[in-house]
Amino acid sequence: MSILEFEGVRKTYRVGEQEIHALAGIDLRIEEGEFVAIIGPSGSGKSTLMHLLGCLDTPTEGRMVVCGTDLSRATPDTLARMRNREIGFVFQSFNLLPQLDVVANIGLPLVYSGVPRRDQRARAEEAARRVGLGDRLANRPPQLSGGQCQRVAIARALVNNPRIVFGDEPTGNLDSATGRNILTIFKELHAAGKTIILVTHDPAIAAEAPRVIELCDGRIVKEAKA
Amino acid sequence: MSFLAAIAIGFREIFSHKFRSFLSMLGVVLGVSSLIATMALTRGIEEGMHIFMQQLGGLELVKVVPNEPSSLMLEFANLSPGLTLRDAHSLRNSATLISHISPEITHTVSAACSDAGNSERRKARGILPDHFVIGIHGLAAGRWLVDLDIERGARCAVIGHTVANQLWPGTPAADIIGRTILLDQTPFEVVGVLPLYEQEEDTRARQLGKKPRARRWDPFRQKNEAVLIPFSTMFHEFRSGAFPENSMDSLKLDALTVRIGNLDHFRAALGQIRSVLDLSHRGVDDYDLETREDWFDRIESSVRATRLSGGLISAISLIVGGIGIMNIMLASISERIREFGIRLAVGARPRDIFRQILVESMLISLLGGLLGVGASLGLIEILKMISPTENIPVLTTGSILFSVAFALASGLLSGLYPASKAAHLDPITALRYD
Repeated sequence: MSILEFEGVRKTYRVGEQEIHALAGIDLRIEEGEFVAIIGPSGSGKSTLMHLLGCLDTPTEGRMVVCGTDLSRATPDTLARMRNREIGFVFQSFNLLPQLDVVANIGLPLVYSGVPRRDQRARAEEAARRVGLGDRLANRPPQLSGGQCQRVAIARALVNNPRIVFGDEPTGNLDSATGRNILTIFKELHAAGKTIILVTHDPAIAAEAPRVIELCDGRIVKEAKA
Repeated sequence: MSFLAAIAIGFREIFSHKFRSFLSMLGVVLGVSSLIATMALTRGIEEGMHIFMQQLGGLELVKVVPNEPSSLMLEFANLSPGLTLRDAHSLRNSATLISHISPEITHTVSAACSDAGNSERRKARGILPDHFVIGIHGLAAGRWLVDLDIERGARCAVIGHTVANQLWPGTPAADIIGRTILLDQTPFEVVGVLPLYEQEEDTRARQLGKKPRARRWDPFRQKNEAVLIPFSTMFHEFRSGAFPENSMDSLKLDALTVRIGNLDHFRAALGQIRSVLDLSHRGVDDYDLETREDWFDRIESSVRATRLSGGLISAISLIVGGIGIMNIMLASISERIREFGIRLAVGARPRDIFRQILVESMLISLLGGLLGVGASLGLIEILKMISPTENIPVLTTGSILFSVAFALASGLLSGLYPASKAAHLDPITALRYD
């Protein structure tokens, strides 16, 4: 069974009297363990698609099944649970909490999944070591470099052991060498069996992915499988 | 998210913005401290009133006094023997709800000590030993009058503080016992001296070396100027000659004081007194019952009014404090929209965000409340310094708990709106917010 299943998904925004079709009928299946890149020009709807795939939103129309759960009409609580347990997010701008240290940032998802406090710290430290940040646990994000911040974000995405990891332009704010390092981590995760979905407009990154989906005007216009 | 985690986040948030948090607490601090101080003040007044009422003999004291019969009864007035010692006997035998009874005859005498010549007019009262219980008397030295004094018609007297002080200025009460007092030239032995009765503020003024405020009416005058002698002695020495046909039993009394055994049966006891007296007076209403009920009710209702108005003002300031918290919380959440977006993205449910804000606002109000308790202690000390002769404020655990609970409730209420606003954020918009 597919881990992500979209059938005729539409997302329509109303701006005053005008209706904007951000997604105009998407049919998509992604199997567990795939590495997918979603590309497209700005305004193509790739962000909207990512928000739906990432369970931050529900579609206006159509069927959306994530990890075997139909989320077409899901409540905010169900979506929150999916984001917490099944999905890890890595953002372009890192989205770390500046007032928390590295361990607390990484452990943030555990706060909301009912993990006992002493286990939270142990699991966060373990996740930090996996991305090579074992010696920066007590630092806070403003004291870290961009690459280190993105590692913290990846560790946070992994801490609850999700099945899917999303990257929204994860290398967009980094220099090319650091970007390549981050991309290597994603590849390692893929090798370890995670489903990886990257949204990007960088063809070089898309070239690394075995499967590339190209969006334009809210539709899938091209699909390439290596 | 667990409740403890929410509290931990709340504390971090409060301590990372110390000055802002302090400002938002300030309203609660003022509200709580003024609420506690008001409650302590009114409590002090209340307790002062209570002691005052006890010193006056309490509610239990009822006085039966002779009265002109109403015009309807005027023609039958002769049928009534009037208020006599017989009434005291029949009340003692028949009115089961009263515990003590003492008749009273007064006679104005000139009182002088044996040594010096200057005398003063005093109202001597002939009474039975029950009188001391009914009036809730204390004793500075010596003893009360006892049954044996009555039986023997002994020439002994218990005198009030003012009388003792005037006759033997500066002599300790204990040294006065055994001395002789001349009442209309008849020598009496002083067997007891009553303590000085005064209101709390006068006591405190005296202790501070100030002159008590001059009053037009001193409620304790009768007690302090008392010259109490046995009922029988009073009759034989001063009153028997006036009406040769008089016996002690038929002598018209000036008053009959009664103590009600149990206040729960106050009305019933008054009814008993009336029915006994109506029978012995053959239905003539030539007597009157004086109770302190109305008077004490008035005192109590004025204390209640003080408490209510003070409490109301403090409650309003607490509500204003709550609005202050709401203001700060609203400002704080619009600063932290991105934080909530991140929390939502990693799996916080709307209700987790709601709880976090609510806990934060309650923590602020709780800390403010605790600071307010501390401030109220200082406030009470200041009040004591400003007006040292007033009743001492009485601080109770109940009033502290009540005020802190009230502060918590105002924190809860004022956190509701900001919390629901934060909980209804759209995660996508919140993540994009700068």
